[in-house]
Amino acid sequence: MIDLLKAEILKVRSTRTALGLLIAALVIAVLPTILAVLLIPKEELVATEGGLIAVLGIMPAASLVPLLCLVFGILSMTNEYRHGTVSYTYLTTPHRGQVILVKLLVCAVIGAAIMLVTGVLAVVTAGLGAELRDIDLGLTELSETSDWELLRDVSLVLLTTGLATAFGVALGALIRHQVITVAGTLIWALAVENIISGLKPSVGEWLPFTVFLQVVVNTGKVDPVGPSLSSLQAFLVSLAYIALASVAAVYTTMRRDVT
Amino acid sequence: MAVIEVEHLTKRFGKVLAVDDVSFSIQPGTITGFLGPNGAGKTTTLRMIVDLVRPTRGSTRVLGGPYHDLARPWTRVGALLDASGFHPGRSGRNALRVVARASGIPESRVETVLEMVELTGAAKRAVKGYSTGMRQRLALGCVLLGDPEVLLLDEPGNGLDPEGIRWLRTFLRQRTAEGKTVLVSSHVLAEVEQTVDEVLIISRGKLVAQGPIAELAVGIGAVVRCRTPQAERLQELLVARGAAVNRLDAALAVRGPSAAEVGQVALDNSIVLHELLTEQPSLEDLFLQIAGTRRGPS
Repeated sequence: MIDLLKAEILKVRSTRTALGLLIAALVIAVLPTILAVLLIPKEELVATEGGLIAVLGIMPAASLVPLLCLVFGILSMTNEYRHGTVSYTYLTTPHRGQVILVKLLVCAVIGAAIMLVTGVLAVVTAGLGAELRDIDLGLTELSETSDWELLRDVSLVLLTTGLATAFGVALGALIRHQVITVAGTLIWALAVENIISGLKPSVGEWLPFTVFLQVVVNTGKVDPVGPSLSSLQAFLVSLAYIALASVAAVYTTMRRDVT
Repeated sequence: MAVIEVEHLTKRFGKVLAVDDVSFSIQPGTITGFLGPNGAGKTTTLRMIVDLVRPTRGSTRVLGGPYHDLARPWTRVGALLDASGFHPGRSGRNALRVVARASGIPESRVETVLEMVELTGAAKRAVKGYSTGMRQRLALGCVLLGDPEVLLLDEPGNGLDPEGIRWLRTFLRQRTAEGKTVLVSSHVLAEVEQTVDEVLIISRGKLVAQGPIAELAVGIGAVVRCRTPQAERLQELLVARGAAVNRLDAALAVRGPSAAEVGQVALDNSIVLHELLTEQPSLEDLFLQIAGTRRGPS
């Protein structure tokens, strides 16, 4: 198992996919913050009060980075099929369930780490920008949050991003075709769930990507957006989704032929 | 004890019966050619031996048990099943390191293998920059990482130039000299003819022959080749005596009578011969005869 873990880590390190993801995540996280700090009139920034952090770009980081990590999870699994490396993977480790579990774990950790890096960078950039323009960032409201609550919220965000990445691995193992999986997932996440949520909010709030999003954006002092599961509820539902997808991924992977 | 045992192996993909009740065994220290035209079921059989494809019926055993029960299987069995099975953005060295790590093989072995397959100079380059022959050598290197006692090679000569084919022959001879057991599939018969001890011939999913080439060739007999300006006349005379004759312009390929008998017929009928020789059946003759295929020149 340790050998397999080392091999999976080397797989990630030896291609540019993870680096590309990190760069994309940093751009997504920091660019809106920089633009907001530079371009939005000071009066408007101040007027947003509690929502200031969101305006400054923390929201884009929090909502888009997990989606990016999910795509990374899909790529890390479907690349095995696309490039035929899956044959060597299962020849060296014929117990395919172990391969899927280790990949889920490695990708989950990478996803959470990328969320941590981009989140910290977005907050720091926002702080520096606010300092430069002499704007109250609204951090006083955050300071009212207890250390325990802050730690819980940050942990939930990181865990959920990790779970979203692992969810991508499970989807990739289930569907295997890279383009279909990525395109299908993005269409579902960005269009189909939004439409269902708009037409039938009571159903929409339980759909997987809406649930992932609720953990992230309903955390802390940022006002809840859209459907209204609490962060903890959304996190638990996310866990159920990833568990279901992982079991299905392991089951189908063990039964399928590698041709 | 047989190193590889295949019993009543059958694989159906939907309506296609890819492998049909195939049984054979491979003895230790032998090199066996697994021959058949494209689509005959060679690759599917090899993939079932190493658990990549689940049999519809039947079973396979490698080194006494199912492949998935082997501890660190890559150090016991090396399988080249797809030379393109590398991430194009990964360097050749890292491609081998990934497999070595997953198998618990020390990293120092990667450098040794890179030297063996003559890729040390290209080890840092991304695989996407490799030629087909280099990828094939990288795949062979990957197989050698664990210094396994059993090698399964599926069309190892694909994409190799004549120099590469010669390199492959030397490679196979070295492995057998080391006492390894090799099962090598190919549809290019010249590739394995000079190397194999035994052959398995598969056609349309069915195993149609198994044994040493010399033993299987007995039933075919030699071919007498002759060249004469009166080829049509000589053909008629030989066919009248029950011989099987193929003619291409002035050249005849005769099965049945010996060279002496053909020469006598020519002499008796005042037919001038420019060439007369006996050719022992090649693996290709054997294959075409047994598999009943029309592929390749006769």
